Amino acid sequence: MKFKINRDHFSSGLQQVLNVVGTRATMPILSNVLLEAKEDHVLVTTTNLDLGIRCKIRAEVSAEGAITLPVRKLATIVRELPSLDVSVELVGNHQTRITSGQSIFKIMGIAGDEFPPLPGFEDQHSFVLSQADLARMLKSVSYAQSTDESRFIMNGVYFSFSDDKLTLAATDGRRLAVISREVEVTEENAGSLILPAKTVAEVERLLNQGETVQISFNDRQAAFEIGTSGEDGGGLMDSIYLVSKTVEGSYPNYRQVIPKETDLHIKVNRESLANCVRRASLVASDKNNSVKVRIANNRLEVSSSSSEFGESSDSLAVEYDGPDVSVAFNPGFMMDPLKALTRDEVIFEFKDELSPGAFRTPDNFLCVIMPLRLN
Amino acid sequence: MRKIIHIDMDCFYAAVEVRERPELRGKPVAVGGTGRRGVLTTCSYEARAFGCRSAMPVFQALERCPQLILLPVRSERYRAESARIHAILRDYTDCIEPLSLDEAYLDVTGGDRYAWDIAREIRRRIREERHLTASAGVAPNKMLAKIASDWRKPDGQYAVPPDRVDRFLTPLPVRRIWGVGPKGEAFLREQNITTCGELQRVSRSRLREWFGKWGDELFDLCRGIDSRPVLPDRPRKSLSTERTFAEPLRDRERCAAALSALCEELRADITAMRPPRIVRTLFVKVKFADFRRTSRECAGREPDPTEYERLLEEALERSDQPVRLLGVGVRFISEEESDFRQLNLFESAPEDRRREAEPGG
Repeated sequence: MKFKINRDHFSSGLQQVLNVVGTRATMPILSNVLLEAKEDHVLVTTTNLDLGIRCKIRAEVSAEGAITLPVRKLATIVRELPSLDVSVELVGNHQTRITSGQSIFKIMGIAGDEFPPLPGFEDQHSFVLSQADLARMLKSVSYAQSTDESRFIMNGVYFSFSDDKLTLAATDGRRLAVISREVEVTEENAGSLILPAKTVAEVERLLNQGETVQISFNDRQAAFEIGTSGEDGGGLMDSIYLVSKTVEGSYPNYRQVIPKETDLHIKVNRESLANCVRRASLVASDKNNSVKVRIANNRLEVSSSSSEFGESSDSLAVEYDGPDVSVAFNPGFMMDPLKALTRDEVIFEFKDELSPGAFRTPDNFLCVIMPLRLN
Repeated sequence: MRKIIHIDMDCFYAAVEVRERPELRGKPVAVGGTGRRGVLTTCSYEARAFGCRSAMPVFQALERCPQLILLPVRSERYRAESARIHAILRDYTDCIEPLSLDEAYLDVTGGDRYAWDIAREIRRRIREERHLTASAGVAPNKMLAKIASDWRKPDGQYAVPPDRVDRFLTPLPVRRIWGVGPKGEAFLREQNITTCGELQRVSRSRLREWFGKWGDELFDLCRGIDSRPVLPDRPRKSLSTERTFAEPLRDRERCAAALSALCEELRADITAMRPPRIVRTLFVKVKFADFRRTSRECAGREPDPTEYERLLEEALERSDQPVRLLGVGVRFISEEESDFRQLNLFESAPEDRRREAEPGG
């Protein structure tokens, strides 16, 4: 194996795959990155057996071949290399020589054929989406995933392709975020999956490098082929391939907890409300992290108090002449969707102090948040 | 009469590793600390055949079994697996008390099924769905159920029905009683007491004389009387992180450096907690090279590194010995102490967990 590669391309390629590798891998080879030199490129692959990522970097290959090298060490070395021109060569005994300017490194590796291959799979459903759309949809719901390991079914984002739309949902049992958009779904292509939180984070990080992303999945696995744009792709070619186990099991029936649309709602400027909640929550104590939202007489008032710090109140003018309603929420639960959205206006729905509140936007977004009840 | 099941996974950590790496099947495998002072956390039955035991120092285990395959502890993985096993247990009762990642008590009193059949079905499902084996004990209380689960280990189960408690206990070595350690055993042996049957002949006042308040409990336990309830879903009271050093730390600078790394880990763990919890107390714990331990704590609302440094200073005042283990942690305010309660979306719980998200719009 022998190839010449641009330092910054090599470095950015390694950055794409680096996060997958844990600091305490079970098998030494899982701390390594697989480098495969072929034709005009090098394939760079990492895996933790649950999640694998592969990308393709432009290179001048003079001898094809493969090796695995410790990825964190390699990424550090490549970043520090003095010259943009880097040559990499297998010099026998699993040693790889990396030269750049006056620097020479000989790095110990493990044979490429010992690297566990990324799974390919059959019986799959497959869809092509715009990266910008998927990125926006994931951002709109991913904050609501549960991190409580005992509720592993909720430790991810639920994807459902059916009825000519893609719906994403996430919940931690206290709030629920759902968004959908139209996608052509044939009967045999319909299906659903739960994408684990770690994979969600990686997909979110990798999106927006190009135009489209192809999602394929079966009962156990999901794969994302994330297109990279040719020009400023930092030497990345074609697409980044990510394959992940899915969370096995049935996602909770979230539809039954979505409140019916009510007459009691207001239209409110997203940023103004977020600012209002954030300011009011500044005096909330850790022990009673709550804000009270009161809607009456064309005003939305957000207030908070604690015996430790005192009181706060902030308000916004809104159009509302319905009954006086007060309800308490965790301020974080209100701010998370407001921060994730991009539209200027959101609809806020409510009913009474024991019923959930909900944010909606015209682009099929909904976030239901359960209130806090005074003990 | 209660019906209690104790489920105990068979060498859980090692079994998870072997399941994921079939090439390890049939080989002596252990999971544990890899440093010089590391100890085995769990080992496979193949390793036990060589005399390896959990809590045995690594070097000793390697002396007994040089071909031992030692793997690092992957707590996150075992926690995730444990959550899946608990999901199976929850199909039978909500009254589950997890003791650790690999052990739990279930109270199945009141159901119309035999506890024996439930235990067998749970073990079958763990085998079929998780590809792991578990042992089970069935008895009228927690103490007996725990002893029973050990009786046919691995991959077996044993029941002590109410009418056979006496027959089961009479020949049982005292060491099997929950709370009797090597010292207690040695003391009793000096009094010519080795079995529960012999212990039953000792009067309550004599036991109280020997063991103080614990003597009262022992009087009941050796008769198979244990009324401790199965306490489901104990909310976490504290959270901590600690490290044992292969080379005990001699100077304060290195202690401080280790402390700051631990503080960062702790902060990340606290941030990841859902629902978020409120901290009431910060504590530092230290174990010295001579195995003496000490801890210091103070009130605090967040894991403030400077507070921890101060606590460490105080703890180190207490000995000139090098530091073998350092830990930092927090205790939480319990939910009842807060003015508010967070309402849940899926309040009508258990059946929701099983109901499928319906396909379609």
